Amino acid sequence: MKIKSLLIANRGEIAIRIVRTARKMGIRSYVIKTSKEPNAWYLEEADEIIDFSEDFDENLPEFLDIERIIARAKEHKVDAIHPGYGFLAENPDFARRCEEEKIVFIGPSHDAIYRMGHKTIAKELARKSGVPLLGGSPGAVANAEEARQIANKIGYPVILKAAAGGGGRGMRIVSKEKDIERMFTLATNEAEKAFNNPDVFIERYVREPRHIEFQILADKHGNVVHLGERECSVQRKHQKLLEESPSPALDAKLRKKMGDAAIKITKSVNYFSAGTVEFLLDVDNSFSFMEMNTRIQVEHPVTEMVTGIDLIEQMILIAEGKKLAFTQKDIKLNGWAIEWRINAEDVQSGFSPSLGTIEKISWPENEHVRVDTGVRDGSVITPYYDSMIAKLIVHAETREKALQQSSMAIRKFWIKGPRTTLAFCRAVLQNSNFRKGNFNTSFLSKELKLHYHAEPEEEILAAFFATYDYARGVHQFEEKPLRLEKSQKISPWVLKKRLR
Amino acid sequence: MAREAKYKESTKLIALSTKNKAFEFKKPLEKVIKYQGKPVDIRLHEDPQGFSYIVWKNKKYMLDVIEKNQNRYTIMINGVWHSFTVETPISLKRRRYLEEQGDSSSTVAIEAPMPGKIIDIMVEEGSEIKEGDPIIILEAMKMQNEINSHVSGIIKSVEVKKNETVMKDDVLIEIQKG
Repeated sequence: MKIKSLLIANRGEIAIRIVRTARKMGIRSYVIKTSKEPNAWYLEEADEIIDFSEDFDENLPEFLDIERIIARAKEHKVDAIHPGYGFLAENPDFARRCEEEKIVFIGPSHDAIYRMGHKTIAKELARKSGVPLLGGSPGAVANAEEARQIANKIGYPVILKAAAGGGGRGMRIVSKEKDIERMFTLATNEAEKAFNNPDVFIERYVREPRHIEFQILADKHGNVVHLGERECSVQRKHQKLLEESPSPALDAKLRKKMGDAAIKITKSVNYFSAGTVEFLLDVDNSFSFMEMNTRIQVEHPVTEMVTGIDLIEQMILIAEGKKLAFTQKDIKLNGWAIEWRINAEDVQSGFSPSLGTIEKISWPENEHVRVDTGVRDGSVITPYYDSMIAKLIVHAETREKALQQSSMAIRKFWIKGPRTTLAFCRAVLQNSNFRKGNFNTSFLSKELKLHYHAEPEEEILAAFFATYDYARGVHQFEEKPLRLEKSQKISPWVLKKRLR
Repeated sequence: MAREAKYKESTKLIALSTKNKAFEFKKPLEKVIKYQGKPVDIRLHEDPQGFSYIVWKNKKYMLDVIEKNQNRYTIMINGVWHSFTVETPISLKRRRYLEEQGDSSSTVAIEAPMPGKIIDIMVEEGSEIKEGDPIIILEAMKMQNEINSHVSGIIKSVEVKKNETVMKDDVLIEIQKG
């Protein structure tokens, strides 16, 4: 079936990203307007707007309101829905409701989403497929006491994870027995809040692994390929801050081994669409399956840059029932791509959110630079959604050149308004171990002592600028006595001035 | 008025960093900065897009005043912020004098590191805590963050309630150091 119209149940940069591919394919795009961002840029980029803004329900955010989205999609007779990432992207009920209403869900089947979304089922699938796993609880842990018993058996440190989780939420690392009870409660509360499901499970915690994920494309005819890996080890509290493809840690042999494992897991649920299989890679090159993300990922552009494949286009073609137009041997990784996440966060105060208006934003434009963003001059970073401002993707022939181009692009990436993670990007680029490709998930906590980088001359220039602005302010202040002369209240300072 | 007077009487202005580093600039402010003993020419520009920048040794530095309150400034330069107070020689002398006289207060306030909602309070007035002990759980950007005490002592007061929303830098708890 040829898709002619598409509703994007998302916002920001990913909505714009999907609109662009839809337009390229001749598909009419629809987006949802909310009361939280009634002037957002993505609304102008799309062909049609479906207005949700009159009706504001604090307990059910617009992009999570399954029935309302389905009803409005039917009303406008759209052929398909793309969920983007986050929100309903990995909600099996939403995929099922689309299927029931004969709307094409641009993603995998609800069954694949459910089974991969349920960590314990996913682990069982991986075990049956012969893919290596970390030791831990077979399913959800009932209470803190059971958590203690399992942890004592597999040995500390352990990690508590929300069974329905992802993105670092509902996760806690426990190093000592005395902390397990408190951490169990924290993880359970967070899981309940974030995913409406308090279940957590336990796993052995690998102290300094690399986080490597494989991009998968699978059609509805059983063809599965991987598009190489993404290196996502630079994280803070399990939130990714930059990603690259390929990974400095993999050679062709290890890539094949891990890629084959990723394909096996994909096939175990008869998966179709784009997906991502995440692994932990230990220092001895042994790897374990972590989870499969059944959606397009934030960091998908690095894969697009090195493979030259438009992943959103492939998702739409697969949803239409088309066969993949390439096989594994056609996939070549060309050069090196790095994505820098530029978030409205104050790195100098522990990455705390820095909300507000983007007064001005500009970046250099050249053959190495791609910027995916949902903001422009005047856009507001609200507390309702994530803190992302833009993704800066840099592509060059080698990693060294990509780093060099990154330094230049970051230097010329100017944002006036909120405090941003650009300061962090500079610190990473300065780090010699990062430059050598020698890092893992403990990079931020152990290797990168200072999470921002300033050149020595910058402080004096900032000091000058402050002094200059102050002096200018005082100067303006001095003009006032001229007007005061006409009034009754004459300042003694004015008199002093006159006497001189 | 007092500020104006000081400004007029002084021959220089000093930007004092939060780490007490003093940067002196002669008045009237010339576009020459002494750096590592040598004078360097600088040029201040505003480009058509509305960004301010300084050219220093042929390199551009993007600058912005991101906070300003009387003589307290926060300046963003190339994505990193620096805070200063701008002082005259007299106000600096006075400030230094007050600092010396200042009571080395034994009460420490734990402030919210980010805006968010109080999910749990693990201490109450009078409870004894050690450095690193968790005191509050603050939910921000959908994450539950444990706020730990950076001092040991006794809880003097709890300034917030469960489920209350707090702003960045709001005082959460006061601790009597001990």
